[in-house]
Amino acid sequence: MFLKKIALAGAISLMGSAAFAACSYENTTPIKSLTAGFEAWKAVTDAMAECGNFQAELDQEFRTKQPAAFEANPSLYQIGGVSNGTITPLINAGTIRPLDDLVAKYGQNLTPNQLIRINGKIMAVAMMVNTQHLMYRSDILADLGIETPTTWDEVYAAAEKIKEAGVVDYPLGATMKSGWNLAQEFVNMYPGHGGQFFNDDNTTAVNSDAGVAALETMKKALAFTDPEVLVSDSTYVQQQFQQGKIAMANLWSSRAGAMNDPAESQVVGKVAMAAAPKAVADGAPATTLWWDGIVIAKNISDEEADAAFRLAMEGLDAETVQGANDAAIWLVNGYVPTEIAEGAIATATAAPAPPAYPSTTQMGLLHTALGNELPAFLTGDRDAAATLTAIEEAYTTSAKEAGVLK
Amino acid sequence: MKFKTFAAFVGPSVFMMLLFIAAPLVSVFIQSFQVTQPILQQVEVETCTPGFLTQTCVTETKTVPVLDDAGKTMTETRWVGLQSYRNVLQMDKFWEAVGNGSWNDIMQIDFWKALRFTLSFTLLTLPLVIGVGLAIALAVNNATRSIRGPIIFISLLPFIITPVIGSLSIYWLFVGDGILTAMMERWTGTNISMFAQAWTIELLMYFYRVWHVAPFAFVIFYAGLQTVNMDTLESAVIDGASRWERLRHVIVPHLMPLIVFIALIHLMDCYRVFEEIVGFRSQAHVISLQWLTYDFMTPDDAGNRAISRASASAMLTMIGIVFLLILPLRRTWRDHKGSAH
Amino acid sequence: MSTPKAMQQSFALRFSSGAFLAFWCLLAAFPIFWIAVMSFKSPVDAFADSAWDVITGPATRANGDGLSIIDIALGLAVLYFAIRWAFTRLPGLVQRYCPPGLLVLGWIIGALAYAILFVLIFFGVLPLVLGVLNSLLGPLGNPVLGLTTQHYVAVWAENEFYRNFLNSMLVTAGVVTISLTVGTLAGYGLARSGSDLAFWLLILALVFRALPHSVLVAGYLPVFINSSEILRPIFGEGAPTLYGQPWAVIAVLVSINQPFTIWMLRSFFQNIPAELDEAARVDGCSHFQAFRRVIMPVMWPGVITTGLFSFLLGYNDFLVTSLLLDAQNQTMVPAIAGYFNRETTTTDQVEAVAAAVSITAPLFLLVMVFQRQIVSGLTAGAVKG
Repeated sequence: MFLKKIALAGAISLMGSAAFAACSYENTTPIKSLTAGFEAWKAVTDAMAECGNFQAELDQEFRTKQPAAFEANPSLYQIGGVSNGTITPLINAGTIRPLDDLVAKYGQNLTPNQLIRINGKIMAVAMMVNTQHLMYRSDILADLGIETPTTWDEVYAAAEKIKEAGVVDYPLGATMKSGWNLAQEFVNMYPGHGGQFFNDDNTTAVNSDAGVAALETMKKALAFTDPEVLVSDSTYVQQQFQQGKIAMANLWSSRAGAMNDPAESQVVGKVAMAAAPKAVADGAPATTLWWDGIVIAKNISDEEADAAFRLAMEGLDAETVQGANDAAIWLVNGYVPTEIAEGAIATATAAPAPPAYPSTTQMGLLHTALGNELPAFLTGDRDAAATLTAIEEAYTTSAKEAGVLK
Repeated sequence: MKFKTFAAFVGPSVFMMLLFIAAPLVSVFIQSFQVTQPILQQVEVETCTPGFLTQTCVTETKTVPVLDDAGKTMTETRWVGLQSYRNVLQMDKFWEAVGNGSWNDIMQIDFWKALRFTLSFTLLTLPLVIGVGLAIALAVNNATRSIRGPIIFISLLPFIITPVIGSLSIYWLFVGDGILTAMMERWTGTNISMFAQAWTIELLMYFYRVWHVAPFAFVIFYAGLQTVNMDTLESAVIDGASRWERLRHVIVPHLMPLIVFIALIHLMDCYRVFEEIVGFRSQAHVISLQWLTYDFMTPDDAGNRAISRASASAMLTMIGIVFLLILPLRRTWRDHKGSAH
Repeated sequence: MSTPKAMQQSFALRFSSGAFLAFWCLLAAFPIFWIAVMSFKSPVDAFADSAWDVITGPATRANGDGLSIIDIALGLAVLYFAIRWAFTRLPGLVQRYCPPGLLVLGWIIGALAYAILFVLIFFGVLPLVLGVLNSLLGPLGNPVLGLTTQHYVAVWAENEFYRNFLNSMLVTAGVVTISLTVGTLAGYGLARSGSDLAFWLLILALVFRALPHSVLVAGYLPVFINSSEILRPIFGEGAPTLYGQPWAVIAVLVSINQPFTIWMLRSFFQNIPAELDEAARVDGCSHFQAFRRVIMPVMWPGVITTGLFSFLLGYNDFLVTSLLLDAQNQTMVPAIAGYFNRETTTTDQVEAVAAAVSITAPLFLLVMVFQRQIVSGLTAGAVKG
């Protein structure tokens, strides 16, 4: 029985590769890529591999390796996968090349929306957008007669009702794992309250009323979440959803597909997506917009760059997207939004629209400071004012070390 | 042995250690007194990013590094003396907190928080590891010969298993409604969350470390027990020594060099505790010195890393370990002096 | 050996000592046993709240994967005899058929043959026999225990985990060989030299051992990535990029492990009477000849024990390998961590658990085989302070 299964699995994977091996040309230049490792990248790099002579590195350490690897001469990789956060060090160091001529040559199928322009020059080609938005158990909210919440106040009111009804373990889930995730929650909430991250002289402006308001809003969630919320990352929240332990969460849109995976989820078809809740009633959804896309290294020959870009276009074609439609909110032609994309689209098209993640050198430093200092507030060791002061101090220290502040 | 022969024997080993340990160490030492910064300028940048269907373009002033003709980032390196150490230690805040007599305030400063945990972790697990290791060794030595093999095998499992996987397996048993947490909840009838407060996480970390290292102590003690001099033991029995007295006066002294050896290794390994912090995701509640260094070292999305502070914190960790090692090392020095001539 | 009367123990003492041992064994084996159980279940069962659901696996059974009572009984029987045989007969067989000089090699071959035979019987012959039995026996043949091997198939076949396995073997073999070669020489030199220099070298090694690794490793990365540019003035155009090269990682791991290795081996050599090699030197041997002729034949117990520790270090390392190797040369531990750290699904996690259990198997085998050598090596003095 076991042997039969292995044989079957082998046959299927062989058939799979045979059926997909439909690259329109044969790639002859050896090309390597370094990207993150989530589903969408797997689909894209698999499609590129069909053209031959291609090695994909899907690496969780790509943030650490990418800047150094692209700075080497010749660059260790021709293609890089970036998001609007991780493109910053590459742009700052000037290790990626403008793509205008290559887009003119091979980019017939790209939409103008995909072209990331910096000072008018195309520096990257986006393939998908990602954002945190509201996911909720439509069956529970319908049973309890709760309207889909649109603001955080409404979310907490709904959570209160769900808690009283006692239908799930915890009404709310939150990606508040200390460090990057927790800081990201603040980065979502703070502009929602109308806050500015920086003053003109690069000092931080988070120590403000909007900062206190954002912190207080975040802390209210703790009454409704799992007490272990400071260790829960998106995978954990996704699992809580799948096991029917939580009813609502502000979660990444790239996670939506997993809710309807019958192999993992006990709540197939019961989770609906809506726009990210607003922090104030007339504001933008309290979230940030992200994109993921590809860049081409500068320290390689023009022929290699040509081959690499052509290969990348093969990976980003309609065929790839149709093979993995629900893996992401694709920007590529051929994508058919299904109901799990509704929330992300509603978020991105809201008026006023949420900001894109403001990736700069300073923001990187502030994000780290937030991630390290916020936990003390949520555990109750420090009040809001002291926490904001601590964040300001931590930022100032690291900004001085990085040379951003004098 | 002539110096030349000696050099030939130890040469390859010393060379490798110098190249891969000493050289980085020296550079860390130097960097802890330096700050390397890119030369920055302010420029107007227009950035267009995708929304869904349409793009949004924003123009803003960004601080970006200046590139030289070869396309490399221009940097300048300054000597800053003890500035990085000051940034890590935050002595002004520390003294202020001491002045207020507020333990809680001291524990808000990362370095002191990390030092507190690292020290208590090291010093609390040390006797536990030695005690548990010795207890298992004595019990196994006491067991019937035929079952010793399988028992030694099972006992060694926690030690040989890949640490990343070992800590995860324990994490899963307790996180959320993990089965052991669920079991404890059924016994006590209350809702237990092991990862919601600092002391339970710390407890789990101690448990994991003892679980992981005690087998190492065990196997070494067990080997030591095989060489206990039976004559001494029997004459102790004839002298009417109780079981406990025999343990204290014959067996433990015999094992003393091994206990020192284990203590030495354990002090070193515990003082750089790191896997537990990552494995149990305890950053919100407890951090360790090596984790602090690692955190300074890890680049953020924008590629910044606090190399100078990381170096300073690494050097401070080193100083701490040298202090801890002085005591056990004095013994080694005496042995050396005693045996050499 | 008869126990002297005064050494005999009261029942209470024997009982409490036995109970303590049983408790410890449970504690030692349970977490590992539990992840092994998880790896055979569908994601819904693997992360279920109730322990009973994890063990019986209702969702897995609902998918049509499971074991009947007969499967379990027969499987356990085979397992029992396999383990018993490994402890009782295998050592004898190896000793009988192996020339005395090559005992280590003999053990390795024996262990490999045993592993292959076990896999063949347990996963090849047994399922075939059971398939027939189950269909014959009707109700007794119905699955009662949910169990699926799909995660193992996914990991080894679809995700090509065997590549990581081969990389791990390469790195580990390199680390053990080089570490021992370099370490034995140094350990012998240090043991036979009473000079203060030797002492301070040992202390220095100890301080090196205490260094936090993350500092060292982060220092390597930029140098390794740019090594081609840095080394070009010395080596010309052929200068290698060290990043991603297994042999560069081997060198790093060997160096990091050197302090421990030389300490272990030094104390081991100190327990070999110096008169042995002095006698050889009187006969006109140089230090190296004395080392080769006199010391090498008697040093194996200590070397094997130290080698095991090197093996564990190379095999289990995460920090160095995850940062300095690229995807093509990635070893198993960082590959598994990759399942967790990237944007994962629950299926990914269970696959990671399956991978984790698979990489523990060689460690099992290793300890089973070398258990006696560890203890005898340590007893022979590799740890005398």
